[in-house]
Amino acid sequence: MTEFAAAAMASGAQLRLRQLTKAFGASQAVDRISLDVPAGAFVSLLGPSGSGKTTTLNLIAGFLTPDAGDILLDERSIADVPPHKRNIGMVFQSYSLFPHMTVAENVGFPLRMRTRLSRQAARQRIDEMLALVQLGHLGTRYPRQLSGGQQQRVAMARALVSHPRLLLMDEPLGALDKKLREQMQVEIKRIHRSVGTTVIYVTHDQTEALTMSDLVVVMHQARVSQVGTPRVLYEAPANLFVADFLGDSNLLTATIAHVSGDELAVEIGNGEKIRAARGTSAAAQGSRTVVLIRPEDISLTATDERTAGQDVVAGTIKDISYHGDTFKLDVALGADMLKVKVPRERGAGMERGQKVFLTWNSSVVRLLPAADRTSDASGEDAR
Amino acid sequence: MSATAGRLGLSAAVLAVLIYLIFPVIVVVAISFSSGNFLVFPPPGFSLRWYESIAGDPEWVNALWVTLKVGSLSALIAVLLGVPAAFALVRHVIPAKALLSALILCALVTPPIVTALSTYLFFVPLGLVNTVVGLACAHAVSGMPFVVINTSASLRSADINLERAAVIHGAHPLWAVLRITLPIISPGIVIGAIFAFVHSAHELLVATFVLGGVGKPVAVKIWSGVQATSDPTIAAASAILIGLAIFTFASAAATQSLAKRRTA
Amino acid sequence: MTALAEPRAAPLLRPALSSRGRMLPALLLLPCLAWITFFFLAPLVLMCWRSLASEGFSLEPYGVLFTSPLFTKVMITTVRTAAITTVFALLLAYPLAYALTVSGGKVRALILVFTLIPYWVDIIVRSFSWLILLGDNGMVNKALMALGIVSAPLQMLYNPFSVLLAMVQILLPLTTVTLFGAMLRIDRTLITAAKIHGASEWHAFRTVFFPLSLPGVYGAGLLVFVLALGFYVTPALLGSPRETMIAQTIMVEASQLLDWPQASAAGAVLLIITTSIAAIYNRYFSLDRLWGGSDK
Repeated sequence: MTEFAAAAMASGAQLRLRQLTKAFGASQAVDRISLDVPAGAFVSLLGPSGSGKTTTLNLIAGFLTPDAGDILLDERSIADVPPHKRNIGMVFQSYSLFPHMTVAENVGFPLRMRTRLSRQAARQRIDEMLALVQLGHLGTRYPRQLSGGQQQRVAMARALVSHPRLLLMDEPLGALDKKLREQMQVEIKRIHRSVGTTVIYVTHDQTEALTMSDLVVVMHQARVSQVGTPRVLYEAPANLFVADFLGDSNLLTATIAHVSGDELAVEIGNGEKIRAARGTSAAAQGSRTVVLIRPEDISLTATDERTAGQDVVAGTIKDISYHGDTFKLDVALGADMLKVKVPRERGAGMERGQKVFLTWNSSVVRLLPAADRTSDASGEDAR
Repeated sequence: MSATAGRLGLSAAVLAVLIYLIFPVIVVVAISFSSGNFLVFPPPGFSLRWYESIAGDPEWVNALWVTLKVGSLSALIAVLLGVPAAFALVRHVIPAKALLSALILCALVTPPIVTALSTYLFFVPLGLVNTVVGLACAHAVSGMPFVVINTSASLRSADINLERAAVIHGAHPLWAVLRITLPIISPGIVIGAIFAFVHSAHELLVATFVLGGVGKPVAVKIWSGVQATSDPTIAAASAILIGLAIFTFASAAATQSLAKRRTA
Repeated sequence: MTALAEPRAAPLLRPALSSRGRMLPALLLLPCLAWITFFFLAPLVLMCWRSLASEGFSLEPYGVLFTSPLFTKVMITTVRTAAITTVFALLLAYPLAYALTVSGGKVRALILVFTLIPYWVDIIVRSFSWLILLGDNGMVNKALMALGIVSAPLQMLYNPFSVLLAMVQILLPLTTVTLFGAMLRIDRTLITAAKIHGASEWHAFRTVFFPLSLPGVYGAGLLVFVLALGFYVTPALLGSPRETMIAQTIMVEASQLLDWPQASAAGAVLLIITTSIAAIYNRYFSLDRLWGGSDK
């Protein structure tokens, strides 16, 4: 876990969700979600649409009232506190800047509503905030005169001007194009480090979540699928859904062939046995399981160059696509199809129909539970 | 059948239907400016005498005043009651929403004679017959659907996050509705109010029963005139109502473009 | 499922809350519904009550109604007129609505304006204008005689023809707009797909667009029929006594004969008919869809 500046701890609130539940008619939007967010952390709620992440955010904000459960800010329950009294900042996907107010007036809005700062003091705060988001010279403009990225920065300044201890962000970069999105991601992180407030960031873009967050909460079908740092989620997913949702993955159904101490071997579709990392899952010989191998962890050679301690399987290239810095190949292994990602020089000589040898470190072969409440019901192979 | 032949056929049909729709309106307006005595079209010459006779006739002027009073009051009531209802229907989850919607709209599909008769029977013991207020209250019922429909449409297309942005940053929810959302949806409200007003100005049967005597509105006066005399005064009065319709139409369009310019 | 730090205390389950939140929609709707109940529903109930109780409870007015040959004739005339009006209104509105659907922005706006302006002219005026046009000295007769088609003016007024002509014209804007709304919801890419696979313009229309538009046609038809049933001004002004429709009968009973129970009974019958039809409409099409409400 990344370290937080002492100052950050002081200016961000600790957030706890306890068995938060919300249904709309017959459909369960949020199902008994519990979460502990450390003070000052940048936490992403990541998931496909319909997973409940926006509903959760709206519950934290107070726009929706929970059917059951509690929300605690700095150990004090706020579930009964109306949204305008929660002292939270929020940024929306559509920026939601007040069109009839100037940038400075927009940013100063929370001060007018929440505080009794003198005009001078307010002016100073507004200037501070505008400087923080690097828009100091645009105070007298109107929102419609600004670009999308600038408007979003004004929205951030407005959200932070009254020094809230919690900042909510609802897919704020969804309306921006790729280049601008990446720039803004860096901006947002920089601002977060300066201000130190706790951030809850909703997104469906896993790259965004992985690059920006201290913690990621993967949500699926109204429940929390897994919570962890980006590395843990990517390299040690706890279930099928997380393994499949983050990054490219090869998911192979297999049967546990052999367990002894730290060693584990599974039998995959074409009958071959490969070694796997034990992980934390209980593994009984003969039981069905799913193994995860990331495409970039697989090495591809034209000839059998196996070294001791590595598993090698043979397959045939079914398809190759060029991605600039890498080649992505589909390699058939009996009934299974494996996705392999290789650097450009590696893939340059390969052709469709070619027989190749795949190899990897056994530590990258991870076991996943075969069937999971929080995963898609299919334990299908990748593709 | 080739595509162009079909297209030409369609255009011809459309044009014919449009002429069928518009022509009578043109006829009435033309006759109102007629210098002749009879209801003859095309009119023999141009004259403003029928408008002058209306302007000089205290009964007509009074009728116009009554129409204005009743129309404005009923539109006002429709707005005061209909706008909150629109908020409830659009923003909140309500059981039996479809049924409640239908209830609000059912005044529009009920035969006017039934509404008129029942309202009269109801008003007599209440002493509301022959009062401007009474008629306005009755007209407000049929004005409400227009306000609810148009306000709802505006609300649905308005960005709710603007209101939320205000609230989360400290504004009281009511303040946010009044100062942020209401200005944004005001074109919808205004259009609904205009529709309600025009509907009241045109309404005949309820007005006949409730206020058909001394202080009758224009629609009732036109109706009795149409059955009695045959001079173009009626046409002039009708043309005034047409002018009213066009004016409200134009103001509605102007309100729309003004609002668009402000939030562009 | 690993939470970063498992909650130390037992989960606090709180029951649903803020009664204020629950009450708000009701408070917003209440004034509107109360007003409608008081100024619209209550009178209707009263009217039905009056139809039953003149000197104590009695179904006599209904008895008179259903055995009266006059009433039967008027009802038949009303239903027949409304039905024919509906058919013609649909026939004329369909091409207009179709043109609106396929037209681009400016043309569409223009047609829409022309279609809607008459809607804002009141019924009396629109019926009245036909009086002028169709009279013995009216423009139509003058044109016909000038062209030599007839030698004496045709009697075009005070008959079913003039009533229908005016009623269709009056109901046309609403029919068109309703049909237009329904047609907009048809996925036009289906027609493009049909044409790509070899269908001619007409064939694509006949086999793809038209069947998909039928629900809209039925919906608009139901609506127009209900409205036509209640017409008063047009048949009164442009029809002869033989074309009397039910609204006129009720008016006479009420304002001239002052026979309240009888009038109320006729009103109740008319109300039940229109309410039933509107209920059928609502079941399949939802009233607020007419004006762009969200789909049920």
